Amino acid sequence: MTRYSSLPDAELVRACRAGDAEAWNELVERYSRYVYAIAVRGFRLSDDDAEDVFQDVFTRIYLRLDTLRDDSALRPWIAQLTRRRCLDALSSKGREAPADDEALIAEESADLADVEEAYAVREALSGLSENCQDILDRFFAQDQSYRTIAEELEIPSGTIASRIARCLGRLKQELEGRNEGAEGSRG
Amino acid sequence: MVARCSTQWKDAPGVSAQASAISDRAVALAQTDGRAWDAALLALRDAEASAGADAKRDFALERKLEAAAAAPLEIASLGADVAALAAAAIDNCEATYRADASAAASLAAGGSAAAAHLVRVNLGMRTDDPRLAHALASEQSARDVAERLGEPTR
Repeated sequence: MTRYSSLPDAELVRACRAGDAEAWNELVERYSRYVYAIAVRGFRLSDDDAEDVFQDVFTRIYLRLDTLRDDSALRPWIAQLTRRRCLDALSSKGREAPADDEALIAEESADLADVEEAYAVREALSGLSENCQDILDRFFAQDQSYRTIAEELEIPSGTIASRIARCLGRLKQELEGRNEGAEGSRG
Repeated sequence: MVARCSTQWKDAPGVSAQASAISDRAVALAQTDGRAWDAALLALRDAEASAGADAKRDFALERKLEAAAAAPLEIASLGADVAALAAAAIDNCEATYRADASAAASLAAGGSAAAAHLVRVNLGMRTDDPRLAHALASEQSARDVAERLGEPTR
């Protein structure tokens, strides 16, 4: 955790523009998995191609951050840069563009939507208490049983399901809040 | 279903999501269990067809049987989780669905008992094995909840 970890994107962008190296590190840390997931899961690029896309996208971000018009729209901007670079990578491997682009995008839009959703959930999770993050991660990501969770967290087994349900309720609120914020910023 | 139908219950969506996650896990585990048991069965037949002692073959068979016990062990645990989820539901769901929650706990206890039995069989005579103890504890936990939820006072 750095002092930038909890900074909203818009403030992070401003710090990057001011030349703050730590802010740049945070930006790369925050979006590296996102870019990689779009390349690998959304466009099914090989690890080598995904690595090339990754390097290129972050180079472009570094060089073109000043052209970003809405600082809070960092994520969609990065997504757009990444998708374009992925399409370039596929074209250079022999897939025709632009005619195939539309078919490709349609074919893989479901995977991209999954990546977007996963990222949105991850972002929303970061807005929850550590206890909630921990218990949701244990149950949904690590597939731990209620008994294991109860033993490891030293809380009564009979309360686990209710705790998880309440944390999910908070996660839903967090997601809805973010969606409303995103819609508001577009208008 | 109990949670989904209890529209006035604030935590219902969260309970429903957990039930869905457990259901997905159970399906995946059942498939894993089938594959592991097929492999163990092949190893068993191979051992039966071979004459004489063969330490390497016996070791491989033992490993296959242990692998065949792994999925039922987790299924037994999932049964306990389903029963616990039913317990969380029964006190909060709409009255119409309490019997369904109780039925879910009974089914889960049955599944947990069946899975614990498979763990016992696949681990053979090793009654002091912690995995068997874990499976039996899950079975007991699910049964306790099912019995409590099935009491006529509810």
